[in-house]
Amino acid sequence: MEKERFLSVDWQSPDMNSGAVADQLPRPFLDLGWEQPVHHDAKFESAISSLVSSPSLNPSSGNGSVVVRELVGWLGSICDSGDISQTSCYSTPLNSPPKLTLPVLGHRQQGGGGLPMPGNEMADGQFTGFAANPGFVERAPRSSCFGAWSYGGLGDQSGLPEAGNLSRVPSSHSLKSAGALQMGVPDNGKDASKSNPERIETEMRSKLGGGMPPSSTSGRTMASGAANNVSKRKAASRGRGKEAPLSSSNVNSPTAAEDEHPDAKRCKPAKTNGADKDSVVKQETEQNIGASQKKGKENNAKPQEPPKDYIHVRARRGQATDSHSLAERVRREKIGKRMKLLQDLVPGCNKITGKAVMLDEIINYVQSLQRQVEFLSMKLATINPQLDFDLETLLQKNMHQEHEPLPQQVYPSEGTSTAFSYAQQHQGSPLQSAITNGLGVGQQPLCPFDGLADATSQLGSFWESDLQYVVRMGIGQSQGAEFFSQSLHAD
Amino acid sequence: MLAFRFLRALTLVHRTTPNSSNAARSRRIQRAAFASMAYSAGPRRAWSRALLCRFHFHRARRRCAGRSRTAGVPRRPSTTGSPADGLRRLVPGGTEMDYCSLLEETADYIRCLSKQVKLMQSIVDSVGPGGR
Repeated sequence: MEKERFLSVDWQSPDMNSGAVADQLPRPFLDLGWEQPVHHDAKFESAISSLVSSPSLNPSSGNGSVVVRELVGWLGSICDSGDISQTSCYSTPLNSPPKLTLPVLGHRQQGGGGLPMPGNEMADGQFTGFAANPGFVERAPRSSCFGAWSYGGLGDQSGLPEAGNLSRVPSSHSLKSAGALQMGVPDNGKDASKSNPERIETEMRSKLGGGMPPSSTSGRTMASGAANNVSKRKAASRGRGKEAPLSSSNVNSPTAAEDEHPDAKRCKPAKTNGADKDSVVKQETEQNIGASQKKGKENNAKPQEPPKDYIHVRARRGQATDSHSLAERVRREKIGKRMKLLQDLVPGCNKITGKAVMLDEIINYVQSLQRQVEFLSMKLATINPQLDFDLETLLQKNMHQEHEPLPQQVYPSEGTSTAFSYAQQHQGSPLQSAITNGLGVGQQPLCPFDGLADATSQLGSFWESDLQYVVRMGIGQSQGAEFFSQSLHAD
Repeated sequence: MLAFRFLRALTLVHRTTPNSSNAARSRRIQRAAFASMAYSAGPRRAWSRALLCRFHFHRARRRCAGRSRTAGVPRRPSTTGSPADGLRRLVPGGTEMDYCSLLEETADYIRCLSKQVKLMQSIVDSVGPGGR
């Protein structure tokens, strides 16, 4: 699944990079870098969308976008000191967030010492790709923290982890770099000029300088600012109409709150629609925002999603995200729920696992119930005659069973006696009267016996079929009465 | 409500056909049981609707002819291998449902059936062994 996603993301580099040299380096880590944001922390959204928005704005200035990307990648990698030694760019960013606070500070202190040296070499090697911004390279080492970050980032063995680590940057509590980046890049992103990279650098430096010393509160404020920027940027990018290819209802409606609930369905069109950069990145970032934790994301139930046009399902990690499989998954879960209900109903099914066996059990149980009904009806056919005077007690008993026990036990006997007397007299009308009386009796716990009409009307409203006629008319040759009597009488 | 309906129907059956055989009466009682079940379940349930349709138009056989036929005639042999075929045959109206709603209807049908069985059993017990 990851491969699919990042293969579809591959389009980014060809579109954006004009420089051949610049292409090669940023492309791999960019593509793979997007991988992790897809899965991981939510606050990547701002950074990544900033990255994407700026390149998308400046398709011609591929170099600038490349630099921006690399910059972000460095920052990310810097913050991810714990993972710097990791070779794989797919290392879980979730491992990093807890360590991010320390590394960021640690880098400042240690990065100047240990890292810059090896980092310098790497930096040089990687800076070759960043032909567009030698100035950036020069400025980078100047700011202590930024230099540490850049070196830390460049200390990675490949370019891949940088962009991947970028995703981890915002996940740290001290989102200084992320905040700085977010503050800086969006502004740059909106500006289509080619001076983006330089502006980004300066802004980053300033923000970094401001961001580093303060405690994590600044990072948080930056994070919140980032969130605002995210929504702003999203609105801006949406306004540009780049989201048009996407399912409009999904993409245009989301707010910052909704960003936290990315849809797998939104992912799907983004995945397939390779031509739309903003959409892809936005969705990925949205996904990032949506999942502060991977597991939390998996556990999010579908009903928690804000109601939209159709059922939105979040794709769990490692599962297919196309609409067919999602619908299948929804259906399977529904079926599973109902099977559980049936398991509770059918006695002795707790140990059974497996649908086929369960189905057989259910079938057997239904058959046994139907056979029981048949057998009991045979029995009742033989033991009938005593029912006249036993009916009262039976009715009382059943009333107790089915309704709350009430002191109105006199009424049932009245009702039944009247029913019987009627039954003896006529054929058609006693049925209705019996029914109305019975209904009145039946409604006894619910309403006074005098309120027979109320009871019947209640029932009538509830039951829209033929019985309504029976209930309301009480007389007459309504179809319902006929059918009812027919159903009860001989063939 | 189930109790009242069924008891009423039961008494009516006994009153109106005192001379018929036990077998015929038992069949009528069984139909009364199912009818009262369906009535108490209400029109919300597909199985109750199917049951009532079957009962109401059983003799007329004019309207709902297609429906009653499809409900009554054994539709397809289980050579198709669908796991729910047996269940479809058992639950009234089950042949025309998708699997998901079939399960739901089955659950409701089982609940109603068990209520009916309990009711009839209690009637038999209360009448006691001294019947007729």
